[in-house]
Amino acid sequence: METIKRYFRPEQLREFSLVFLIVAIFMFFGSQIQGYFSPRIFNRVTSDVAIITVVAIGETLVLLTRNYDLSVGSIVGFTAFFVGKQLSFHPDMLPLFALLLAIGTGALMGLVNGLIISYGRVPSLIATLGMLAIYRSMLVAYPGNKIVVTSDFPKWVLDLGSASLFSVGGFDIRPVVVVALLILVIFQLVTAYLPYGRRLYAIGSNPEAARVGGLPAQRIVLFAYMLCGTLAGLGGFMFMVRYGDLNTAVAQGMELQAIAAAVVGGVSTNGGIGTMIGTVLGAFMINLLQQSLLRWLRISNFWVDAFLGLLILVAVTIDAVILGRLRDIWARTGLETRPGGEKGPVEKEEIHAA
Amino acid sequence: MLRKLEWLKSWESLLLAILVVVVGFNAVSTPHYLQVGNLINLFHLHIEEIIVALIMTFIIINAEIDLSVGSVMGLAGCVMAFMWERKVPIEIGIAAALLTGVLVGAFNGFMVSYVGLTSLVVTLAGLIGYRGLAHVLLEDRSIGNFPEWFDRLGQQPLVGPVPLALIAFFVMLVIALVVLQNSGFGRYVYVIGNSKDAARYSGVNVRRVKMTLYIASGLISAFAGLLLAARLGSMRGDTATGTELTVITMVVLGGVSIFGGSGSLYGVLLSILIVLNLRNGMGLLNISGDTQTGVIGALLILSVLVPNITREVRDIWSRRHRAQRVQVVKEQKGG
Amino acid sequence: MATVESKTPILQMRHISKRFDTTQALDDVSLDLYPGEIHALMGENGAGKSTLIKIMTGVYHPDEGDILLDGKPIRVGNSVEAQAYGIAAIYQEPMIFPDLNVAENIFITHRVRGAVVNWNKMFREAEDILAQLGVKLDVRVPSRGLTLAARQTVEIAKAISLKVRVLIMDEPTSSLSAHEVTQLFSLARRLRDQGVSVLFISHRMEEVFEVADRVTIFRDGKRISTKPRAEVTPEGAIRDMVGRKIEEFFAKSQTQRSDLLISVRGLGKENVFSDINFEVYRGEVLGFAGLVGSRRTDVGLALFGIEPADSGEIVYQGKLARIRSPEQALQLGIAYATEDRLRVGLTMPMSIATNITLPMLRKYLSALGLVKRSAEEATAEQFRQRLSIRTPSVYTPVSQLSGGNQQKVMLSKWLNTRPQVLILDEPTRGIDVGAKAEVHHIINDLAAQGLGIILISSDMPEIMAMSDRILVMREGKQMGIFSRAEASQEKVLTAAMGQSSEPKGRA
Repeated sequence: METIKRYFRPEQLREFSLVFLIVAIFMFFGSQIQGYFSPRIFNRVTSDVAIITVVAIGETLVLLTRNYDLSVGSIVGFTAFFVGKQLSFHPDMLPLFALLLAIGTGALMGLVNGLIISYGRVPSLIATLGMLAIYRSMLVAYPGNKIVVTSDFPKWVLDLGSASLFSVGGFDIRPVVVVALLILVIFQLVTAYLPYGRRLYAIGSNPEAARVGGLPAQRIVLFAYMLCGTLAGLGGFMFMVRYGDLNTAVAQGMELQAIAAAVVGGVSTNGGIGTMIGTVLGAFMINLLQQSLLRWLRISNFWVDAFLGLLILVAVTIDAVILGRLRDIWARTGLETRPGGEKGPVEKEEIHAA
Repeated sequence: MLRKLEWLKSWESLLLAILVVVVGFNAVSTPHYLQVGNLINLFHLHIEEIIVALIMTFIIINAEIDLSVGSVMGLAGCVMAFMWERKVPIEIGIAAALLTGVLVGAFNGFMVSYVGLTSLVVTLAGLIGYRGLAHVLLEDRSIGNFPEWFDRLGQQPLVGPVPLALIAFFVMLVIALVVLQNSGFGRYVYVIGNSKDAARYSGVNVRRVKMTLYIASGLISAFAGLLLAARLGSMRGDTATGTELTVITMVVLGGVSIFGGSGSLYGVLLSILIVLNLRNGMGLLNISGDTQTGVIGALLILSVLVPNITREVRDIWSRRHRAQRVQVVKEQKGG
Repeated sequence: MATVESKTPILQMRHISKRFDTTQALDDVSLDLYPGEIHALMGENGAGKSTLIKIMTGVYHPDEGDILLDGKPIRVGNSVEAQAYGIAAIYQEPMIFPDLNVAENIFITHRVRGAVVNWNKMFREAEDILAQLGVKLDVRVPSRGLTLAARQTVEIAKAISLKVRVLIMDEPTSSLSAHEVTQLFSLARRLRDQGVSVLFISHRMEEVFEVADRVTIFRDGKRISTKPRAEVTPEGAIRDMVGRKIEEFFAKSQTQRSDLLISVRGLGKENVFSDINFEVYRGEVLGFAGLVGSRRTDVGLALFGIEPADSGEIVYQGKLARIRSPEQALQLGIAYATEDRLRVGLTMPMSIATNITLPMLRKYLSALGLVKRSAEEATAEQFRQRLSIRTPSVYTPVSQLSGGNQQKVMLSKWLNTRPQVLILDEPTRGIDVGAKAEVHHIINDLAAQGLGIILISSDMPEIMAMSDRILVMREGKQMGIFSRAEASQEKVLTAAMGQSSEPKGRA
């Protein structure tokens, strides 16, 4: 037991449960649905999850600091639309440039969020609720057609979306998936090994102690929002590449999906707890469950959201009620003095010399 | 006289000034602006939002939030429409819709007061979940063809030029004013919003108050959803999406602190007028709905950002001033 | 052994004075701290000890006086600057990051740590520091589940990692077990041997005698004495701490005590207090004396239903009572006036009248649920007169009142509930002498009118003067009940510190 306590964190309990649940879902639905293990479903799920993963990782960075970003859906939508439009006007644009444009735009929008919240001291709920509307209106007000169609795009865009880097019997590993995995690895490392990443946890865990301890909380949170925006911009690029057809309702509500993925993945809405792996597992499980239920029950697509809301509630309640106690039990540690060279406990009688 | 000066510096007076500017601008740029018909329209087009803003005021003063109001409006309307589609008499559908609101509100309230989850998370989940249930009921269909009396009540004037919904709003406004400023319950709302613990230590039943507020929110949102269905003459799964932004803006812009414990309906009333006039003016200038929403969003942020910044500036200024004075005093004392 | 004073002091506080509103918290206090010593700071509540260490760590700024570090004057603006100077304090509620592991808690606030976190290195360095302290702690587990003792150790380790030179501990042992105290002391000794100056505030005489090299005693904001431990005796220390005459204090008039109002048997709450037994009679004041950490407030909270007890029984006017909410307590006739006036005692932005009627608001509502303002105003005026609340109007927000008047508003609030038993928790804390006297008059009158009063107070003269009987608590346990005749300040303080009141036999 001690070895377990030493090398595994309580968060990993959540990660293991999710893996277990995913496997269970696979096996259950695999037995119920014909053609479940088909390449088509695999490609679909992985591509969808890839996009939401990238956005959810950015959202997680913000959640760790005990803040919210409700505007990521609008950032994704705007960057997808904006870059799409630019590409349709300038088809010779270098792909790399388009990518940088998306990321840069996202970073800028994240920066604005961060400034308002960190330095303007506007509560993140209010700030990002407002920015959600502002960014969406920027998208809608964008001059020209309110739609972008695949035929407007240069060929490489669509290739990027549907081509595969390599294929194993129809199971494609697509560029978007690779990118998502890369981002996962990068940010898992950032949060586990970079001082900046660790400070995110500190701020969310005890903002007061962070302040008293002299951590530059404002700068740290500002940067977290910038990163979140950057990742949302990347997500926008990936969205554009995958879906092609864009209208002004692009990615509406994606922030809720991102938050749901994070919360199910074990990220606490109170900050300080959660991992990128957990978020990705959460995103994967949600999407897999949705796709499976869709095909199995033949229920309408529309149960998806109701389901999402329920999942968030269940995850948060579990965290509040059960995991909190598990964490306490897990971490209960007392002091031990080094044996040898130390006096034993002093008995009451032998204290006072005259 | 001094009290008048105090009022002049207050948030409400600022709102009044803004309102005058907005109305003035609109009146000048649009010929029909000050006609009765347009003014009624000004209210009527967004009447459901301002009705919900009344209960949201209570909730935010209580230091909580309800992000699910738009979704509850949609769900209630969809419940009614769903039953109507199945040939259930609309009166029963209406009752079912209101009951839905109560149940949803009770659920929200239970999670917040008894399970102890933060209201932001609970109502965020509700935002998604209840909207999802609305979609489950109506999928992507649009249900209409409501009984003629139902549509008439929603769209036509009832008393003079004033439609039912507007009358309902005024009645509810009066009730809300009386309850918030003059009743025991209203006082509990303020005290709890100020400090939950202080309320508890004074023997106030905090749980019961919060539960009541959330049930009221659910019921009123359901009522607003029905009004909306009547006014539009039809109902879809995504009706009333995004209402929460406007409602919260109206309350926060009205001077109600998001941290609870302060604010009044007078300020909210002024900010409602500002938002309505802004929307109306923008509509007459053919600005799209989404852009209008963007402006509302900006208004929300500025209503918190600007006071923060002015306070920072004032603090820095006064600190520098005080330091100078201390310096002077020290020099006078002979160091 | 060469005296500590032969070296140069690390930290010198010179003629420090600090005033808060009406209280002179520190009055021309000078204190030198030397490297390699364990220095105990003793004194009653309010003697100024906490204020001094808050000035040392930059939380407060002195009105007058200087701070010298290694002989050079410094200005400590905040706790971060203090840390940079090597001054660190550990309070009773250690501030840790519950979701980070132990090693990280120690190092996370360090400025420069390199580009990448080397976990193995961090774990090793954390274990090294802990080894230096003679402690073994699993550095990999999240600190959430750590006991209080472990958290203190983590904070001390953090201080060491930041090369602390003056380590201050504020009542570090009040919630520790005997074993944990031993560990803490061996830790302190190691630090001392490494040249750190350890300053700790304590009420526990036996601890001071066990571990301190020098003892400083404060009273009423002044430093009374500083002596090497060998020259200090428990009786002498207590005398220094108490030293004042009980003059200008209003003594409670003898009232006839009549019926038994409330009888408490074996009252306990796990990990908080245990086996509390007492009676409260009409017309008498039962004082609750004790030092920090004695848990007297918790007993009050249990009687008022905010934090109900889990064992024992409360018999109220002859009937067994289960008090699980403030509403129930109020219905029985028990009211509790909190010590935390500013945060939970009153609703600051609201008017005097609103605050007074809040617990009984039900009685001021018309049939429709509207507040009867005239009735409310009448009540408020009544209390304004009765308690001499100085205010232009009963509609003034209580935030604008002085401390003394705020206290009177709070008293009015509870008196308005017509209690039979009134629990007052530190009713005269932070108010000026004149208001104090008024409050004492009021308490006297209330008792004469037949209320039973429980007076929780850390103000020794106040308890001595106002109580008919005094119950002494220490760390959640009841140490005894003294009648007015047999009590003396020394006896009470001795009991509060856990010393037996009989002189120990000396070799």
